[in-house]
Amino acid sequence: MSRGAYLMSLGLVPYAEAFALQRSLAGAVSQGAIPETVIFLEHPPVVTVGRRTETDVELHIPENAAVEIAETDRGGKSTFHGPGQLVCYPILDLGNHGKDVKRYVRDLEEALIRTLAAFELEGERIEGLTGVWLTRPPRKIASIGVHVSRWVTTHGYALNVDLDPTPFTEWITACGLEDTAFTTMARELDRPLSTGEVRHAAIEAIAEVFALDFEELPADEGSGLWPQPIHASLASR
Amino acid sequence: MSERLEATAKLYDEAARELDQAARHCEVAARHFRDGEVPRGAAHAWAARGHLVEAESRLDEQAREHSGRSLPEA
Repeated sequence: MSRGAYLMSLGLVPYAEAFALQRSLAGAVSQGAIPETVIFLEHPPVVTVGRRTETDVELHIPENAAVEIAETDRGGKSTFHGPGQLVCYPILDLGNHGKDVKRYVRDLEEALIRTLAAFELEGERIEGLTGVWLTRPPRKIASIGVHVSRWVTTHGYALNVDLDPTPFTEWITACGLEDTAFTTMARELDRPLSTGEVRHAAIEAIAEVFALDFEELPADEGSGLWPQPIHASLASR
Repeated sequence: MSERLEATAKLYDEAARELDQAARHCEVAARHFRDGEVPRGAAHAWAARGHLVEAESRLDEQAREHSGRSLPEA
C-alpha cells in the first residue's frame, strides 16, 4: 500500500541552504508535523566532504577553481555537485521502510537503476562499493551518501545527468576511489539531456521503490496541500 | 543551582534554539515567496513548522513537570 509523501522540486539551491532545510524537515518528519518528503534539486558547484573524508589525500582543488567546499554529516568520502546533476534528498522515516540502513541504501541504488533503465542505460551495483555504475569498463554514474538520525534519513543520491565530470578526478579523489572513471547520462546517450527530463523518471522510481504516493508542492499559488494535524488543531480553536 | 533548575533551564535553552531556527526559516521563506519561488518558500515554511513543534514539545514537557509538582486547588 502506498503512503502519502510530499515532493519538492526546488531547482538550483546553494548547498548550505539545502543542508539546513533537510535537517529541519527531518525534524518535522520525525515529529509527525509533515509527511515523509522527497526533495529534488541541483547545487551550484560544491565539493562536499563526509565524515570519512581524508581531506589531505582526497582534495586537490586548483586555486582558481570556482567551487565552494562544504562539510556535511553524511557518511562516505568527498564528492562533487554541480548544475546538470540531479540530486535527490529523501527525508524518510525508516520506521516505515524496514529500519535497515543497508537495505535503504540498496533501495536508493534500485531507484537509480530504474531511473537509468527509463533511458535504456543499464545501471549496476559493484560488490563492496556504494553507488551505481555502468560497466565494461566500470564508470560511476551516481553517488550515494546518507545520514540517519532517529530513523529519519537525510542526504541521498546524486545522478550525473549532463555535466563535465572532470572535477570528480582532477579536483578530488571522489568517494576516495583512485583511478575511477566517472560518466554522465548525456555522455552515454551521446546527446544533451536536462535534469528536468530525467526528474520525471526519477520521481516514478522513488515512488515505486519506497511505495510513496507523492503530492508535489505547487510551483505557483496552488490550492494548498494535504490536510495536516496542524490544520485540524487550527480549525478547532 | 539545583539539578532540577538546571534541567529546567536546559529545556528552555533548547526551546529558544528551536524558535531561533524557526524564525530563520520564516525569514528565508518570506524572501523566496517575494521572489516568486513558491516551492522553496513552502519548503522553508514546513521546516519552520517542524522547529515550532519541537519547541512546543520542550515547553509542554516543562508544563507537565510543573503540573506534577503544583498544589491542587483547595
